[in-house]
Amino acid sequence: MRNKLLFGRSIDTGSWVHSVDPRAKLTGMVLYLVAIVIVGSWLALSIAAAFSLAYMAATKIPLKYYAKAAKPLWVLMVFIFVVQCLTVKQGNVLWHVGSWGLYTGGLSSGLIAASRMALLVSFTAILTFTTTPGLLNQGLAGVLAPLRKIGISAQRLTLMMSIALRFIPTILDETHKILKAQAARGADLKEMPWKEKGKMLVSLLVPVTVSAFRRAEELVLSMESRGYIIGAPRSEYHLLGWRLRDTWFVLSYVVLVAVVLMLRLNWS
Amino acid sequence: MAICFEQVSYAYDERSLWRHSALEEVNLELGKGAFAAIAGSTGSGKSTLLQHFNGILKPTSGKVRVLDFTLEAGAKQPPLRELRRRVGLVFQFPEQQLFEDTVEKDLCFGPLNFGMTPAEAKDRASKALEMVGLDDSFLPRNPFHLSGGQMRKVAIASVLAMNPDVIALDEPTATLDPQSRAELAVLLSRLQREQGKTVIVVTHRMEEMLPYVNTWILMKDGAKVFQGPAAGLVREAGRLEKEFGLAVPACITTWNEIAARFGLEAEEPCLTPETLAGRVAGLLDERKQGIKRDGSG
Amino acid sequence: MEGTGLAFELQHVSFAYGPEHPVLNDVTFSIRQGSWVSLVGPNGCGKSTLAKLLGGLLAVNGGTIIVEGTPLLKETVQQIRPRIGMVFQNPDNQFIGATVEEDIAFGLEGRCLPREEMVDRVKRYAEKLEIGHLLSKHPAELSGGQKQRVAVAAILAMEPGIVIFDESSSMLDEKARGELLDIVSEMKQSGKYTIISITHDAEEIMASDRAIVLRDGGIAADLKPWDLFQNGELLDSCRLIAPYRVRLALELGKQGIQVPLDRSGEEVADALWQYVSSK
Repeated sequence: MRNKLLFGRSIDTGSWVHSVDPRAKLTGMVLYLVAIVIVGSWLALSIAAAFSLAYMAATKIPLKYYAKAAKPLWVLMVFIFVVQCLTVKQGNVLWHVGSWGLYTGGLSSGLIAASRMALLVSFTAILTFTTTPGLLNQGLAGVLAPLRKIGISAQRLTLMMSIALRFIPTILDETHKILKAQAARGADLKEMPWKEKGKMLVSLLVPVTVSAFRRAEELVLSMESRGYIIGAPRSEYHLLGWRLRDTWFVLSYVVLVAVVLMLRLNWS
Repeated sequence: MAICFEQVSYAYDERSLWRHSALEEVNLELGKGAFAAIAGSTGSGKSTLLQHFNGILKPTSGKVRVLDFTLEAGAKQPPLRELRRRVGLVFQFPEQQLFEDTVEKDLCFGPLNFGMTPAEAKDRASKALEMVGLDDSFLPRNPFHLSGGQMRKVAIASVLAMNPDVIALDEPTATLDPQSRAELAVLLSRLQREQGKTVIVVTHRMEEMLPYVNTWILMKDGAKVFQGPAAGLVREAGRLEKEFGLAVPACITTWNEIAARFGLEAEEPCLTPETLAGRVAGLLDERKQGIKRDGSG
Repeated sequence: MEGTGLAFELQHVSFAYGPEHPVLNDVTFSIRQGSWVSLVGPNGCGKSTLAKLLGGLLAVNGGTIIVEGTPLLKETVQQIRPRIGMVFQNPDNQFIGATVEEDIAFGLEGRCLPREEMVDRVKRYAEKLEIGHLLSKHPAELSGGQKQRVAVAAILAMEPGIVIFDESSSMLDEKARGELLDIVSEMKQSGKYTIISITHDAEEIMASDRAIVLRDGGIAADLKPWDLFQNGELLDSCRLIAPYRVRLALELGKQGIQVPLDRSGEEVADALWQYVSSK
């Protein structure tokens, strides 16, 4: 029950990746995302994978944790794989069922697509594993600061995000408890026909919503009584300082994007 | 035997990196019609233990027998429906699990799930409400408009409506006002004495349950470290705080002090102000008579 | 320890959540600086609303609240609020930061304190509350009692003169409740704080200087905790139960045995021994 949701949970191992400026990490992640999107060949994929693995190893967090972070999305990965296999008709036919055939091209692009997904998710975990949500927010506020020019408050956005990150696990735990309580009253989701599950969902929605609102209300009170005023200036507990290492960190991602992009252009 | 645990262990997220064991080889026997209380500090496994009583959690090793059902790690799982009906489980803050717009509908949810006809369910609803000391005028009311104590009682009634033989409650009195807590303890005791139900509560306020409970179970780090009547608990008072991380109720410390002073250690402890005052008055009488006897003899 | 000044002065305060839901009606009382006052009463008597009014989280409909000499008005609320800290019931719902240190720092950031000052205060108050070793922990890794300590540390770090505890111990287990009571008692002893606690807990009320009983939106009684616990009718109306030692003393009294009331278990045993020996 607890700990199932890994997102938003940092694991402190004290590696150098942990101490990289969160703004650099965020920029790096965006570059990585770009690289992953343009990966199109096995070679590019293996370069990206090697790059990811190197960073994962540098965090000193066991690789198993990253695998675990990607696990909730395996259905999506299988889906992407199957869709690619069904639709891509390039290369040799490996297997025939009636008029449909499984092509080597389909298999290959299916595998690439699924691996891309897996890489993306487990690599994004680097960001959340090595950065406490508070730092992450501050980094995000830094990256988003230019938005102020068009009248959007970055502080407000990041506060919303941090509260969501903070309360999603609590609310999931609670949902889990209510599910168990309903099971104790003879409504076990696992034993139920699909038709009944809809009804069950309603029985879940009411208490979960009521409780989320109650929590929100109490949280607002607590924030207000601690002097929080939306938009008011605040000092920052975590000190952000851009160092040379942070620049190298971002540059490494720029290189990755460049390499992947070159391979892509050559490929096509 | 209503409940029998044999070497029961339970680990959350078994087969994962985050495996952490919550129960360790617990052996436990509880007779039909018992009133048992489970105490222990935060994280001692008391709530996990409770959730084994109706198969919400299944042991990762060992065997749980409840009424005529057996849940064994590794064995094929029997259908749990009937077990769930016969063992009512009330979670912490059960009023937060209410969801219907009338008390009656919420009370009927369980019975209907267990296949009772609407007429039967309504009948059960009204009986359950009576058991928790509320009358039928509550049936059409919106549960969300009741007071905290009333909501708690309705939520408990919603489990009683299934007419279980065993009722297990997780911290049923938490956050209620002191008099509501005392009322609830009396109510649970009545269910046990008058309706013959087996009642099991998880509690951290030992004092309020002490007058009614006949078996105490203490948990520590997932293991059962004590089982016995209040008298045994009173003798273990020294360990309660130091070893088990529990606050020793004032009634126990006071009795122990008085018992030590007056040499009453071997007696059945008096744990309510009424019984203790009575016992002290008795001592006084004995003494007076003793003096008289000495004087005349 | 009580100062000469008044922390709160309430004059004819009334409040309603809309015309159909009056909560407080013509409430007048004052609280001395440095004192510890319990607000008690049955559920729905308006004590939590009163706490929010005192903390400046709600505005009165009528009457005035004066905080340490300054009237609490729309214009002054931002200036007064920093003097008042509030600790609420559910330790989970007042944990704003993602880690213990971030949570303690949250209020300080709003004060625009320089970083060194924040780091110093976070460390100092965390150590005071014995959570210095938990600074980098997430709320999910803490027990209820530990989370409530974080909440208290976060409030004390803002160095308010007044601290309001709104049922702060009611979700804690018995041991953590006792520990929180010790913390509050220590705060009282330091003489630095005016403490207001809304509570049902007999021991907590007993430890305070004064109990204000609210009923039906007004003050039903304003007395020493000791007198409250001997007044059965008043206790019933607040749905309270006296501490064990008071109930024992009363029962002994019924048996014709008079023992000084305010005693710990050991002292009661001694007093009884002397009493029995003397007969």
